[in-house]
Amino acid sequence: MASVLHGWRAARVTPLGELHTPPRMTAVLLRLTVQVVLVASLWRGLYAQTGTTAGLSRDQAVTYAVMAVLASRLRELDQSAGRDMVLQHMHFGTIVYWYLRPLPPQRYYALRALGEQLYGLAWALGGYAVCLAAGVVEPPASAGVAGVFVVSMLLGQWVLYYVMLILDQMCFFTIRNNAAMLILIFAQNLLSGVYAPLWFFPDWFITLSGFLPFQATLSVPLSIYVGRIELADTGAQLAIQAAWVVGLALLTRWVWRRAARRVIAQGG
Amino acid sequence: MSLKALRIVWRISLLNIRAAMEYRTEFLLMIAIGAIWQVSVIVFATVLLARFAGMGGWDSSDVLLIPAIRMLAHGLFVLFLGRMHFIGRQIQEGRIDVYLLRPMPVHRQVQLDYFPTNAIGDLTVAAGLMVGALSRSTLDWTAGRTAYLIAAVIGGMLLEAALFTAVASACLRYPAADYWGRWLEELLGTFGSYPLNVLPKAVGGFLTFALPLAFVAYFPAAVLTGHDTAVPYWLAASSPLLGLVAYVGARGLWRWALGHYTGVNG
Repeated sequence: MASVLHGWRAARVTPLGELHTPPRMTAVLLRLTVQVVLVASLWRGLYAQTGTTAGLSRDQAVTYAVMAVLASRLRELDQSAGRDMVLQHMHFGTIVYWYLRPLPPQRYYALRALGEQLYGLAWALGGYAVCLAAGVVEPPASAGVAGVFVVSMLLGQWVLYYVMLILDQMCFFTIRNNAAMLILIFAQNLLSGVYAPLWFFPDWFITLSGFLPFQATLSVPLSIYVGRIELADTGAQLAIQAAWVVGLALLTRWVWRRAARRVIAQGG
Repeated sequence: MSLKALRIVWRISLLNIRAAMEYRTEFLLMIAIGAIWQVSVIVFATVLLARFAGMGGWDSSDVLLIPAIRMLAHGLFVLFLGRMHFIGRQIQEGRIDVYLLRPMPVHRQVQLDYFPTNAIGDLTVAAGLMVGALSRSTLDWTAGRTAYLIAAVIGGMLLEAALFTAVASACLRYPAADYWGRWLEELLGTFGSYPLNVLPKAVGGFLTFALPLAFVAYFPAAVLTGHDTAVPYWLAASSPLLGLVAYVGARGLWRWALGHYTGVNG
């Protein structure tokens, strides 16, 4: 029972910060609305004089792009205002408190991320419902597609959790790493298809991204949703996503152990 | 700014460069991030250009001029006035309170906080794209057109600086307004690099009058290449001047906001 209580308290840390600052929530709502309208308008405008391109029709491209905007809400909470980023903890030396609490740091990190993702999911689902009702996004082609999409999205978020965790774990090993963090965040956005669906990129780019975990976070589930990946081909994609989850889980587990040895704060 | 003040700015900048170079890997990575960030804009623009030829009635050599102007303006903004981005953090750490006690304008101290290493990468890629855009251009680059291009880049820099200075002014009162700065950067990167006439009129109007993104590069490029826009020619042509006016206005807003600054502890 106590562990459930601990879990609940850790999971709500970042969402509580949001709920206590209504201006920030208003800003999120406005930003999300404007971004969805802009992105939908852009892709509709681009398709005005073109038919299907890169295997995507206008409606598929709009649905993909809008859902990418909504999905970006899942892990976009502001930890910096509460000084709860690993980077900030390393900078100020407060990381040591993560190791003094009765909750192991890796569990605190996982629970906090779970809370953030659930809170972000509420935003994404709300946005999805509005966009679906307004006809901005297309519904999935069948119940089967919807089911596989949910599984793939879940695996994608799991992979994303580990990617973000690796970024944070880097902070334990480098004194100054803002640039490396920015590069990896950029790579995550570009190679997962946040900026533009990966299908529009040259073949070499798609092949390259196939060897990296980023496309498993967003491009795969969204491509399944819009039907760019056929239902019959989803088995292999889900297996690759699951393989990334297992591989990254093992890697981050090992890094957590190494990171614990690096914690020297307040002069050691 | 007096000669003495300029000398101080120069010496502090040199010290900031030395401080940045203390961490060599970080220094090189920061240059890389500037370059990569800009390359992402190019990748996005070229992917769209390759897939959707004749975007908005513009041919690709004309379209390239838009990201070239925007990126060069952005690189100059990052180099000279870009520290406005991080004002939220400086407020949170109480550093503005320290700046207020020193005998130097707060705005200048904010700008001299550190050397923007990423601007080197930003400007390198932007200059490369500008050379590429000009070499592909079929326009006759007369002295007047070249002078307008230079004015457009400077105007774009000032307009971007005006937008971020306005957000920074809001941060002095509401530090959470920092969030808007990140969104603004994303919007500029995503929607500032191609003809806005591909968008519906209402959306184009929003990016012209509510958020004057169109004046940064789209309108100047349209004037240079002779394309019609949704606004009168004189308004599009006066984009560089509007950048200057907006920046002067934003600095006035900054001074007013600083006068009402109460610190994070009230």
